[in-house]
Amino acid sequence: MHYATASGTLSSVWLLIAIPLASAAILLLLGRRADRWGHWLGVGSVFVAFILGLVYFFALRGLPAGPGSYRGADRTLFTFLDVGKLKVTFGLLFDPLSAIFVLLITGVGFLIHLYAVGYMADDPGRRRFFGYFNLFVAAMLTLVLGDNYLITFIGWEGVGLASYLLIAFWFDRPSATTAGKKAFIMNRVGDVGLLTAMFLMFAAFGSVSFSDVFGAVGRAGSTTVLMLGLLLLLGACGKSGQFPLQAWLPDAMEGPTPVSALIHAATMVTAGVYLIARSNPIFSANLAAQTVVVAVGAFTLMIGAIIGCAKDDIKRVLAWSTVSQIGYMFLGVGLGGVAYALALIHLLAHGFFKAGLFLGAGSVMHAMNDQTDIRRFGGLWRYMRITWVTFGLAWLAILGIPPLSGFFSKDPIIEAAFNRAGWSGWLFGTAALVGAGLTAFYMTRLFVLTFHGPKRWTDAETPGGPAAVHPHESPPVMTVPLILLGIGSLAAGALMATPVKDWLLPVFNNPAEETASHLSTLTVTLLTLLVVLVGAGVAVALFRTGTELVEQPAGPVVTAARRNLYGDAVNEALFEKPGLYLTRALVYLDGKGIDGLVNGLAAAVGGGSGRLRRTQTGFVRTYALSMLGGALLVVAAMLVVTLG
Amino acid sequence: MILTQEALKLPQINYVALSPMLILFGAATVGVLVEAFAGRGRRYPVQLGLSLVSLVAALVMVVRVAHTRELTAGGAVAVDGPALFLEGTLAVLGIVALLLVAERSLEPGGPFVAVAAVTAGTEADRVQAQRRDAGTEVYPLLLFALGGMMLFVSANDLLTMFVALEVFSLPLYLMCGLARRRRLLSQEAALKYFLLGAFASAFFLFGIAMIYGYAGQINFAAIHEAIQSSTNDRILLYLGLALLAIGLLFKAAAVPFHVWTPDVYQGAPTPVTAFMAACTKVAAFGALLRVIYVAFERTAWDLRLVIGGIAVLTMVVGSVLAVTQTDIKRLLAYSSIANAGYLLVGVLAVGGNGNHDGLASSMFYLVAYGFSVVAAFGVVTLVRDADGEATHLSRWAGLGRRSPLYAGLFTFLLLAFAGIPLTSGFTSKFAVFGAALASGQAWLVVLGAITSVILAFPYLRVVVLVWLSEPGENTPTVSIPGALTSAALAIGALATLLLGIAPQPLLDLSSRAAEFVR
Amino acid sequence: MTSVAILAEAAGRVGTGEAITFWVLTPVALVGAIGMVWARNAVHSALFLVLTMLSLGVFYVLQAGPFIGMVQIIVYTGAIIMLFLFVLMLVGRDASDSLIETLRGQRTAAIVLGVGFAGLICTMLARGLTSMADKGLGAANKDGNVQGIAALLFTRYVFAFEVTSALLITAAVGAMILAHVEKRKEDKVNQPAMMRRRFAPGNYPGPKPGPGVFATSNSVATPARLPDGTPADRSISPILPVRELTAAEAAPKGTEE
Repeated sequence: MHYATASGTLSSVWLLIAIPLASAAILLLLGRRADRWGHWLGVGSVFVAFILGLVYFFALRGLPAGPGSYRGADRTLFTFLDVGKLKVTFGLLFDPLSAIFVLLITGVGFLIHLYAVGYMADDPGRRRFFGYFNLFVAAMLTLVLGDNYLITFIGWEGVGLASYLLIAFWFDRPSATTAGKKAFIMNRVGDVGLLTAMFLMFAAFGSVSFSDVFGAVGRAGSTTVLMLGLLLLLGACGKSGQFPLQAWLPDAMEGPTPVSALIHAATMVTAGVYLIARSNPIFSANLAAQTVVVAVGAFTLMIGAIIGCAKDDIKRVLAWSTVSQIGYMFLGVGLGGVAYALALIHLLAHGFFKAGLFLGAGSVMHAMNDQTDIRRFGGLWRYMRITWVTFGLAWLAILGIPPLSGFFSKDPIIEAAFNRAGWSGWLFGTAALVGAGLTAFYMTRLFVLTFHGPKRWTDAETPGGPAAVHPHESPPVMTVPLILLGIGSLAAGALMATPVKDWLLPVFNNPAEETASHLSTLTVTLLTLLVVLVGAGVAVALFRTGTELVEQPAGPVVTAARRNLYGDAVNEALFEKPGLYLTRALVYLDGKGIDGLVNGLAAAVGGGSGRLRRTQTGFVRTYALSMLGGALLVVAAMLVVTLG
Repeated sequence: MILTQEALKLPQINYVALSPMLILFGAATVGVLVEAFAGRGRRYPVQLGLSLVSLVAALVMVVRVAHTRELTAGGAVAVDGPALFLEGTLAVLGIVALLLVAERSLEPGGPFVAVAAVTAGTEADRVQAQRRDAGTEVYPLLLFALGGMMLFVSANDLLTMFVALEVFSLPLYLMCGLARRRRLLSQEAALKYFLLGAFASAFFLFGIAMIYGYAGQINFAAIHEAIQSSTNDRILLYLGLALLAIGLLFKAAAVPFHVWTPDVYQGAPTPVTAFMAACTKVAAFGALLRVIYVAFERTAWDLRLVIGGIAVLTMVVGSVLAVTQTDIKRLLAYSSIANAGYLLVGVLAVGGNGNHDGLASSMFYLVAYGFSVVAAFGVVTLVRDADGEATHLSRWAGLGRRSPLYAGLFTFLLLAFAGIPLTSGFTSKFAVFGAALASGQAWLVVLGAITSVILAFPYLRVVVLVWLSEPGENTPTVSIPGALTSAALAIGALATLLLGIAPQPLLDLSSRAAEFVR
Repeated sequence: MTSVAILAEAAGRVGTGEAITFWVLTPVALVGAIGMVWARNAVHSALFLVLTMLSLGVFYVLQAGPFIGMVQIIVYTGAIIMLFLFVLMLVGRDASDSLIETLRGQRTAAIVLGVGFAGLICTMLARGLTSMADKGLGAANKDGNVQGIAALLFTRYVFAFEVTSALLITAAVGAMILAHVEKRKEDKVNQPAMMRRRFAPGNYPGPKPGPGVFATSNSVATPARLPDGTPADRSISPILPVRELTAAEAAPKGTEE
C-alpha cells in the first residue's frame, strides 16, 4: 500500500497540529497575563483548525483517485529517528479516514470549546483549562494524522496526558485526582500493548510505518498477525474503555463537563476505534483477531448498557452509555468489510449526539447547582426549553428513532452483526439488539426523570432546601453549541450515511456489500425499532411519575449493575487484594502528602517494592554481603552458562 | 647488568590526541597549587575560572582531534570514535555539573563545607556553618575525576583501565563527603562509597589476574586474539570476565551491585550527585562497552544470558523499588539504577550487525540521560527551606503553586525519564530497544517496556504531588537560582527537548563514532 | 652463576627448599589472614596482617619475583602497617565497640557466602590451572627482574604509571581536606584579647567551683551548692547531661559503716 506524496495545499497539513499547539503553549507559558483573553485564543485556534480542516478536506476531494490506491496525501516533515535498520520519519497522512477524524475533532471540538467559555466562566483556572484543552486537540490531531505507528503513539501518549490533566483539573477534590490516576494507569496498561505491538512490527517487518506494515502483513505468519492484532486491541481497549479496561472511563467524569463531552465521549475514547480501523489490513488478515474484537465489542456494549440502567448520576449514566456505544463501534470494526465504515459513521454520529447529551447534562447541572443525581431532577422541561429540546433530539438519536442519526448508524451495525457467518452472527446480532433495547430503557429513564414528572428538587446538600434551587436556562454561549449539536443529531445521520460510506470504503480496500445471510434489512430494522420502543415504553411507564429519592433494595441483577457488574470488585480480588497482602509488610510510606497506591497493579508493585526495600538497611556490611552474594551468583551463572 | 638502550624502545605518545585528559590533569594539579598558595578569598573565582577554561579547552581539543583513530602510548590508550565521543560527552556534562557545583547564591557559601576536618555536630561546626565561604578543593577533585573518567573510557588495556578507575573513584569518594548540610549523612555516604568501591575494585583486580592467566596479556587486542588461539582452560577466562564485570557493573550501579547508589546519592551534596549520576554512568558504560566489544566480543554469546539476567534484574529492581521511595534523591537514584538496566540492554546488542547499532544507541542514551539527570538534580538543589534542601517527597506537595516554572521544568524532566515521546527519554529508549531487537533480544525489550511502565508510576506520583495538591505550611520555597544554576538547568532541559524532537544529528554523530579500534 | 641465570632456572621447576618454604609459610599466611578478621583487638588484627604480608613477600621472592617481594615487605609491613599501628595508638584502641553483630543472620550469611565464593573460585582455579604449562617467566626475567619491570613501566604502561601521580595527588589532597583545619587570621587570639574577654562584663574571671562530691554523693554530676543551698550550675561540666541521680549515686559515701 502506498500513499501519494502531499503537494499543493495539502503539504501544509502540519498547520492543523501546529496552531492548537502554539495556542496551548501561549496559554500555558504566558500565565496570568493571558487570563483575560486566553479562552478566546483557545476557541479561535480550534476554529481556525476546523476551517483549515475543511480546506484540506476539499483539497483531498479534488485529488484523483489513483489505480490500486486511494486518495491520500503523505507529508513527510523530517526524519525523526534513524537507528540502524529502523528509520522513522515524522510524517503526516491525510486520507479519507484521517480527514473524517480531523473534521470531527475540530468541529465538535470547536463547539465544545465555545461552550466551555460559558461553563468555565467562574473558574479561576479557565486559562489553564483552555491550555490543556488545546493541547488535547493538538495531540488528538497528531494521533489521527500520523503516517506511522510511532507518530500515532506520540499523539496517543499526548491525549492520555491531556486527559489525565483535565480529569484531575479540579485537584482539590480527592476523587478527581484518584480518577485521574486510575485513568492514567489503565491507559498505561493499554499503552504497553501498543508499544509492544510496535516492537513486534519492527521485529517482524523492520518498520512501523503504515504503508510498510500493511504491505508486509500479507507475507507474515498468522501467529504474528494474531499477536499484533491482540496487542493493538489491548491498546485500543485501554484508550476506549473497553472490557477489561473499562473501569476508568466512568470515573473520569470527575472532570469538568466539557472535558467529558469532548474527550470522554466524542473524540479521545474513539481513538481505539481509529486504531483498529487504521490497522484494518492487520485485522482483515486474521479471523481470530477479528473475532476477539467482535466479542470484546459485544460484551462491552452489553455490560455498559446493563450498568447504565442502574446508575443515578446523570454523567455516570452517560459515561456507561459511552462505554456501551463504543462497544457498538468495536463490534463494527471487528466485523470487518463494510462494517468498518459503519462503525466510523456511528462514531461520527455518536460524536454529535453524545457531545450534545453531555453538554445538555452540563447545562442541567449548571442550572441545578451542580446536582448530578437524576432522582433529584424532574419537570425541568418547563424551565430550560432549549436544553430540553436539544437533549431530546440527542436522546431520540441515540435510541435510533428514524430519521435521526442513530437510526442510520446503529441499525446497520446490528444488521451487519446478524450477517456474520455462522452461529456467531446470531449471538452477536442478538447481543447488539438487546443492547439497543437496554439503551432505549436507560436513556429514556434518564430523559424522563430529568425533564418530566414531578419536581423532586430536594437537595440534602444544598442549604436552604428546595427553595434554593432556581433552574434557569444557560447563557447563549452554552446554548448555541447545544443547538448546533442538536441539529447535528437530527440531520447528520441521514445526510452523512451514504456519502461517508462511499468516502471511506476505499480506505478499507473497497469491500463488497455483504448480502443478508440470516435476516433481511427490513426485518432487522423493524425488530430493532420494536425492541427500542418496548425499552423506551417500559421506562416511560415506570418513571413517568418519578422515582424514590434514595436507593431502594433491589434484586441481585440490579444490585450487580449498581456495583458496575462487580468490575471493580473483580479488579480488587484479582489485583488489589493480593497487592494489599503484599503491601502489608510495607509501612505506610506516604504520610499525608502522598496518596495511597490507587490501583491494584500498583499496589502489588508497591508491596513487592516494600519487601525489597527492607534489604536496603543502610549498613555497609550488609551491602558488602549482598555484593558478595551477587558476585557469587554472577560467577556461578557465568560458569553454568559457559560450561554447562 | 645494564639494560641496553636499544632494547628499551620508548613508545610513541600522541600528546595531541591525549590532550583532553592531559589538560584536565594539568589543570587539576594547578588547582591544587592554587589551594596551597592563593589567598582564601581569591580561590573561588580562580578555581572556577580555571576549571571552566580547562573543560572548554578539553572539549575544543576533543573536537580538534575528532578524526583521530589510533592506539597511542604503547597501545595503552585508544583514541577512537567511541573514546572521543564519550570524552566530549564527559567534558560537556562536566561543564554543566560544574555550574551546579559552583553555585553560591542559593545558600551562603554554596553546597560545600568550609572546613571538612571539623567534627560534625560540634560547636566549631556550628560556627563554620555560618561562614560565607566554602572549601574550593572540590574543583581540582572534579577535574581529576573527569580526567580519570576520560582515561577510563579510552583505556585499551586492563591495567590502564584499573588505574583510571581508581583515579576517578578516589575524588568521587572525597567529594561525596563534603556536604555543608547534614554532614554526618554525607560523610557516611562517602565512607560507604569508599568501602564498597574498594571491595568492587578488588573483584576487578582479581578478574584482571585471571584474564592475564588465561591470555598472558592484558591488552584488549591480545585478549581478543587469545580467546581464539589460547590453549588454556577457558574457565580462567570466564572467571576473570565475571569478576571484571562485577567491578564495572558496580560503577554502573547494576543490580546486585547497586546497593550503594541510593545511600550515596542521598548523602552526597546534590551537585556531586548530579555529577555522579551523569558522568560516572558515562564512564562506567563507556568502559563496559569497550571491554565487551573490543576484548570479549568472541564470548558475547556466552555473556548474553548472564549480562541479560543482570539487565533484567536491574530494570525490575530499580523500577519496583522506585515506587516506594519517599525521598526525591533516592527516587532519582533508583531511577538511575533502572536506567542502567536499559543501558545494559543497549550494551547487549553486541554481536553481528547489532554491534554498531548497540554501541551508537548506548552512547546516545548516555548523552540524553546525562543532560536530563543533571537538570533534574539541579531542580532538587532549588527546593529548600531553612535547613537546606527539602528532599522528602511530602515536602514537595503543591510546589507547582509556589513556582510553576521550576515545577513545570521538573515535570518535563520526569516525563523524559518516563519515556514520553518528544523528550530525549523516549528517543533514547527507542534507539536502545531498537538496537536490541535488531540483534534478537526481544525478551529484554519486552521487559524493558514493562518496567518503564512501572517506573512511570513513581514519576507520576511526584507530578501529582507537585501539581495536584495544595501547598502545605511546610512546603518549602523554591529559591531563585543564580546565573550558574540557571544556565545548567537551561542547558539540561533544552538538550532533553532537542534530543526528543530532533535527535537525528546526534544519532548520526554517535553512529559515525561507533567504531572501536582494536 | 648470575642472578639472571638463577632466576631463569627457578622458573621451570620447584626445588625442595621452595616446596618446604611454601608449605611452612602457607599455614602461617592463612592463620594471619583469619586472625586478622577474627581478632577482637585492632592492634592484634594489624599484627596478624603483618604476618600475612610478610609470608606473601616471601612467596613472591620464591616465585622469582624478588623486586615485588621486597616491595611487599618494605611498603606493606614497613610503611602501611606501621601507619595503621600509629593511627590505632593515636586514636586509642578500644576493644569494646562494634564487636556484637546486631544484624540477624549477617554473620552466618557472610560465612556461608564467603566460604562459597572462595570454594567456587578455588575449585575452578584448580581445574583451570592443572592443565596449564608455566611459561614466560624466563623471558620476563631475561634481563633481570627489576630491569624487566622497569622496561614495562617505561614502555607499555608508561601512561598508567604517570597517571598514578594523579591518584597520589588526590590521596594527599584528600588527607589534607579530611584532617587539616586551617586557622584563619581572625581566629587567632592574642593575649590582650584573651584578657579582655576574661574580664568582660558577664564573664566570671575566677576558677569555676568543683562538683558537689563532698559528702552526699560520689557522682561528678552532682552540682555544688551555693551558700544559700541552691545548686551551682557552673560546677558541672557542660558536657554532662542534666539528669536525676540514681539511688546508688545519691547514696551517702560508705565510710560511715
